[in-house]
Amino acid sequence: MLNRIDLHPTHRHGEFPLRAGKPMPFGATLVPGGVNFSVYSRYATSCELALFRKHAPEPFAIIPFLPEFRVGNVFAMVVFELDYENIEYAYRMDGPWDPEHGQRFDKTKFLLDPYAKCIGGRDVWGVEPDWDNVYPHRARVFFDDFDWEDDCQSDIPFEDLVVYEMHVRSFTAHESAKVKHPGTFAALREKIPYLKQLGINCVELLPIHEFDEFENSRPSPVTGERLLNYWGYSNVGFFAPKAGYAATGKYGMQVDELKNTIKELHKNGIEVILDVVFNHTAEGNERGHTISYRGIDNKTYYMLTPEGYYFNFSGCGNTLNCNNPIVRNMILDCLRYWVADYHIDGFRFDLAAILGRDQNGAPMNSPPLLETLAFDPVLGKCKLIDEAWDAGGLYQVGSFPSWGRWAEWNGKYRDDIRRFLKGEPGMVGAIAQRLHGSPDLYQWQNRETCASVNFITCHDGFTLMDLVSYNGKHNEANGENNNDGGNDNESWNCGWEGSSDDPGILWLRRKQIKNAATILLVSQGTPMILAGDEMGNSQNGNNNAYCQDNLLSWLDWNLLEQNTELFRFFQRMIAFRQTHPALRYSTYLSGADQGTEVSWHGLKAWDADWSDSSRTLAFMCRRPGEQDVSCIYVAMNMHWDAHHFELPSPNDGRNWHVFANTDVAPPDDIVEPGQEILLENQHGFLVGPRSVVVLVGR
Amino acid sequence: MEIVFSEHNGVSVARITGDLDGNTAPAAETKILEAVTGHELIVLDMTECGYVSSAGLRVLLMLGKQFKTQNIRWALAGVSAEVADVMDMTGFSSFFIMCPDIAAAMQTLKEQ
Repeated sequence: MLNRIDLHPTHRHGEFPLRAGKPMPFGATLVPGGVNFSVYSRYATSCELALFRKHAPEPFAIIPFLPEFRVGNVFAMVVFELDYENIEYAYRMDGPWDPEHGQRFDKTKFLLDPYAKCIGGRDVWGVEPDWDNVYPHRARVFFDDFDWEDDCQSDIPFEDLVVYEMHVRSFTAHESAKVKHPGTFAALREKIPYLKQLGINCVELLPIHEFDEFENSRPSPVTGERLLNYWGYSNVGFFAPKAGYAATGKYGMQVDELKNTIKELHKNGIEVILDVVFNHTAEGNERGHTISYRGIDNKTYYMLTPEGYYFNFSGCGNTLNCNNPIVRNMILDCLRYWVADYHIDGFRFDLAAILGRDQNGAPMNSPPLLETLAFDPVLGKCKLIDEAWDAGGLYQVGSFPSWGRWAEWNGKYRDDIRRFLKGEPGMVGAIAQRLHGSPDLYQWQNRETCASVNFITCHDGFTLMDLVSYNGKHNEANGENNNDGGNDNESWNCGWEGSSDDPGILWLRRKQIKNAATILLVSQGTPMILAGDEMGNSQNGNNNAYCQDNLLSWLDWNLLEQNTELFRFFQRMIAFRQTHPALRYSTYLSGADQGTEVSWHGLKAWDADWSDSSRTLAFMCRRPGEQDVSCIYVAMNMHWDAHHFELPSPNDGRNWHVFANTDVAPPDDIVEPGQEILLENQHGFLVGPRSVVVLVGR
Repeated sequence: MEIVFSEHNGVSVARITGDLDGNTAPAAETKILEAVTGHELIVLDMTECGYVSSAGLRVLLMLGKQFKTQNIRWALAGVSAEVADVMDMTGFSSFFIMCPDIAAAMQTLKEQ
């Protein structure tokens, strides 16, 4: 092949040969003999590239972008003969300092590349940083090649997915996890056999983009221990994985470690969804630090008030200007990168309502960003899940602009099921909708059951054990006078606040957990389980453990032995769901799917009690499967007394068999799918107080 | 970084001394490929190789792929525990046969 004539140096700065670079792609890209650096700024008057040796306090070279290295609003330059494995790079930009008009240039600041693919500076989790560092978060050049062999996106249909929401560090940081490198991507890979044993087929990871765990760190008023920005809902860089989550972060190999973990998860039939936080950045408001965007192009990257202050729809100080065309493209580039380079299967967008606001913060009818993502070819097989609200009061569950493509965290599902579980009256009508994939929310938009990601608990709020153990939150350890975290928990402590040794209370709590697991896993839509709920994990009533990098958050694997019955119950319910197509419709049951039917029942067959005082509901659903018709009956009694449910006939000469009864002590509370026990009385079932029964007709 | 080649019972051994990183790996790749042409069994002796960077790992992987096209069987010997751990976490180890020392590597290759 002929050598290109545009890859030879034309200029020199000190020891470095240079030439004009390519404006696209943005970021640092390896080219033959050098590195192409490209960065956008509309308002900067000049730009410099600063090169540091790894961890060095001062740069060893500062190379200005010459006027001929600027194309439009992009500074682009190739630097040859760089020892790129051992350097870190930053930009410095000059331009107006005029905060009232949104300009905050400061030519003394070293700025992180918004497109940095690998970021150093917090290489090992929790290691105290040098607070005087002139460049705390450091862009590195990285190899983006990886041998994926035959790996591809697994593309499991939404309705067949069982999502497991987890925090990479919490999952294995506890010594009981017994892994080689606790709290890391590598440790997650070690735990794949456990995930398979449980039966989930998708992990949704709390943010794994680079963030600063030391952001806003402070001592706990309760323990004196340092509180960290533990969850990481505060991005430093959108393109780089969190180095501190990688055991190899100290060698700068977090990219490879994460890719290898994803490859292994895929090999085991487990999809990977990332929780992405495009609503704000770690730079805070006008009093915050300048890390990157603020110094590169404040007016482009942030939503600003007419006076130049930061709009705060995120509740975190600033709001990313998502529907500015530049930022929109950055988000698209970022998601494409994670799909193409990391084989990510889907994204859950934190406070996604912000992604639908215009540059002044007003909600839009057809937000261009959301439409772009819905139709983008690279994201074409990717699951897109919105959290359809924001901290500015915009609540769009059921009305999020979706183009039939977006699914969402169904907040109404969580709230309604919680109320029903604790025995509130007047819920039965809503519960029928929730069990059925919430057609009241989604059908009018031509969305289907899989628009609804059903969950009862998630990282935000009580764990399932705490939901049945606490009436109110107990967040004192967070140091905010218990003012943080939600108050609308819809929880019930079963008779005593917090830990108890009363056998009756403990029995009821375990039963409520099983009731919740059963309802979640027989609901149409996509179920999502919070990691640890299957083993009865508690956070001692803390419903907002965002800053608790300690035993409160870390999953204690000893619970698995203590609560074997809960694990087994979850495991069998998941297996049951996967066995029965009747529980996994992809469309609403409006006649589209031949041979499928659902009917509602109550204490009397074919006669559900929809009245306000009712706390009982049952349903029967049938659907032809590959070998047989799957026929299920579920009776839910959320009343404090036992009730006799008259059973409808399963038809076709079938008989009812008992799969699960949460009122029965283990091991008879649930059987292996396929091992269901013939019911003696085929005409009725006495369902215990606050209990759920699942029958199979065969 | 230095590479010394020797031959033991029909097995070509390349002993790498020093670090294998972005500065040294490309030259190492060229040298090794030149030296082993015509051989069927190769051991890369890593006993004296202290540090293998990301670029170093990539060169080992590329060598392996090129050996495969030439029907060369090969193994790594004496990789330090730390480097082996990095190889494992980043997935590179799945492409390599790793043995504690040259003797074990030669044995493994001959038994294949």
